[in-house]
Amino acid sequence: MNTLRIRDLTLGFKGWSGTVEVLHGISLHIGRGERVALVGESGSGKSVTARIVLGLLQSLRSTRLSGLVEFEGRDLSKLSERERHALRGTKMSMIFQDPTSSLNPVYPILTQFHEVLRRADPAINLTGARARAEKALADVSITDPSRALDSYPFQLSGGMNQRVMIAMALANDPSLLIADEPGTALDVTVQAQTLRLMREQVERHGTSVLFISHNLGVVREFADRVYVIYKGRIAEQGPTAALFEDPRHPYTRALLDAVPRITGDGIPEIEDASDAYFAPTEVHEGYGEPEGAA
Amino acid sequence: MPPVLRLLAKRLGTSLIVLIGVSLLIFAIARVIPGDPARIALGPNATAEAIAALRERLHLDDPFVLQYGYFLADLARGDLGISLYTNRPVTRDIADYLPATLELVIVSGIMMVALGLPLGVLSARYRGSWIDHVVRMVTLLGVSAPSFVWAVILMLVFAFYLPLFPIAGRISDSYTISSVTGFLLVDTLIAGDVKAFGNAAWHIVLPAFALALSGIAQAARLTRSNMVETYERPYIEMAKSYGFPEKRIAWRYAFKPSLIPSMTIIGLDFAAMLGNAFLVEAVFAWPGLSRYGVAVILRKDLNAIVGTVLIISAMFLIVNVIVDLLIAFINPRIRYSQRAS
Ligand SMILES: Nc1ncnc2c1ncn2[C@@H]1O[C@H](COP(=O)(O)OP(=O)(O)OP(=O)(O)O)[C@@H](O)[C@H]1O
Ligand SMILES: [Mg+2]
Repeated sequence: MNTLRIRDLTLGFKGWSGTVEVLHGISLHIGRGERVALVGESGSGKSVTARIVLGLLQSLRSTRLSGLVEFEGRDLSKLSERERHALRGTKMSMIFQDPTSSLNPVYPILTQFHEVLRRADPAINLTGARARAEKALADVSITDPSRALDSYPFQLSGGMNQRVMIAMALANDPSLLIADEPGTALDVTVQAQTLRLMREQVERHGTSVLFISHNLGVVREFADRVYVIYKGRIAEQGPTAALFEDPRHPYTRALLDAVPRITGDGIPEIEDASDAYFAPTEVHEGYGEPEGAA
Repeated sequence: MPPVLRLLAKRLGTSLIVLIGVSLLIFAIARVIPGDPARIALGPNATAEAIAALRERLHLDDPFVLQYGYFLADLARGDLGISLYTNRPVTRDIADYLPATLELVIVSGIMMVALGLPLGVLSARYRGSWIDHVVRMVTLLGVSAPSFVWAVILMLVFAFYLPLFPIAGRISDSYTISSVTGFLLVDTLIAGDVKAFGNAAWHIVLPAFALALSGIAQAARLTRSNMVETYERPYIEMAKSYGFPEKRIAWRYAFKPSLIPSMTIIGLDFAAMLGNAFLVEAVFAWPGLSRYGVAVILRKDLNAIVGTVLIISAMFLIVNVIVDLLIAFINPRIRYSQRAS
């Protein structure tokens, strides 16, 4: 069973001047323990996809949703708001772009860690939370976990906060981790370090990952498989190596051409060169999407 | 020393310096105002000898620096001199009039926080709904007129045309309450007289509300905009994506951080009430420090002027120190930055 399966997902936002379509029927899946990247330029619909999976957009009055989102075989649209809420922070968790501003500035790390642990274990007390948090922080190579727990986010470096975020994200052993451009706010070496750490940790926990990124170099190192998203459509998908070696879709090609050596740190805005950009999904052999997706 | 105590010591130190500066300034200004205080005090029929004697007693013929030296020496002993207007120690006068003003300001401050913050929170929570629109309309009205204008309007409407509230004073004449703290709301309770307490509360509602109105409006608007801004912060999204309970997010993730910028302004507004209270007191014939202050300024009662201004400044500074401490209590960044400095 796949951890996540999305089929023909469309999303629109209703506004003053009618509905703005943001996703035009995307399909993707993430197998158990698989690390899948979603790559595309700014505004292509990566973050909204993540937020739908977390069930955060469903309750918004302005959203128009259709299609299937299945988490561990359960159709999210058939779950109640309450049941979707129960999945967040327990079965799914999330890592953000800027670790320091993603932590509450007026509480020490321990308080926030306690809050996270309480999602899975409502009865856990502060002492219990401390013990578990210390272990989790030690796992992400924080040398003095106890001290880090008593610190406020502003007292720790960006890299430290990112480790804390990784530890929090995995603390309840979720089956899906969504990382939305993790650590892009950090400097490059720290980002690389923390990404390596994140990779180690998800491998150890066997966590499936939806990895959203701007950085093709990072994607190449981190992901097993890549989906390229263009203006709310999946342009192409395939195993990382195959896709990088032999991009089939014109948009993917433009993307790879535009970033020399593919170690650059951003995806450029690419003009619509032809109608071919909006052509249906190109698929690499062996990864049938939409038909064969297991 | 714990960081908070260090902060307290530092703020008290600066407050003291400011207070000395204020005393020097008002001491000089009071002396620059034209007119001979001794002549005004003794009246038009006083003899030259009597005036000279009083000038002598007040050290008015000494050099300014020496006069200020005498003043500081007296102040150190808690003596602000004799008022020429009441012929009593200035400290006694202030002790008589200050509680009425303080009581008014404190009740206003409580109204400001107890009404302003919840209105702001409500407005932010139901952004774009009719609740939000009503709160924003009303608060816009509140900030658009100074408190003495509200005092006049409220008195006309709710005391004169609709006699729901008394038009003047602190308590009805039929009650005699022995003064312990000078705060009627406290003294009536000490006396165990619930009816008198109700009467005093009934008297204070309108002036306190008039004084508080712009502060309530300001606090509500500020809290709303800070909350709305805070709701856009990444840590709110993080809290939501982890499924923390809604109430907890609203309180611990949105309200508490957004309280930090609000508190500073609320503190300043609160301190400003001490000044605005003068006009509101005048409208409601509230027997507070304003009456005394105006009378002593008109009579060029030097000791009383300096004493009154000094006390008001001291109150202002104390409020500021309290607000600083409260902010430090909420904002760990301030609490911990004390360590480094
Ligand atoms: N709540 C919302 N209401 C209206 N439109 C929205 C909303 N959230 C997102 N959008 C729109 O949806 C589109 C996709 O947004 P999304 O945040 O998913 O982009 P993204 O691919 O994550 O881009 P970036 O790389 O810049 O983060 C954007 O055009 C955005 O303006
Ligand atoms: Mg995004």
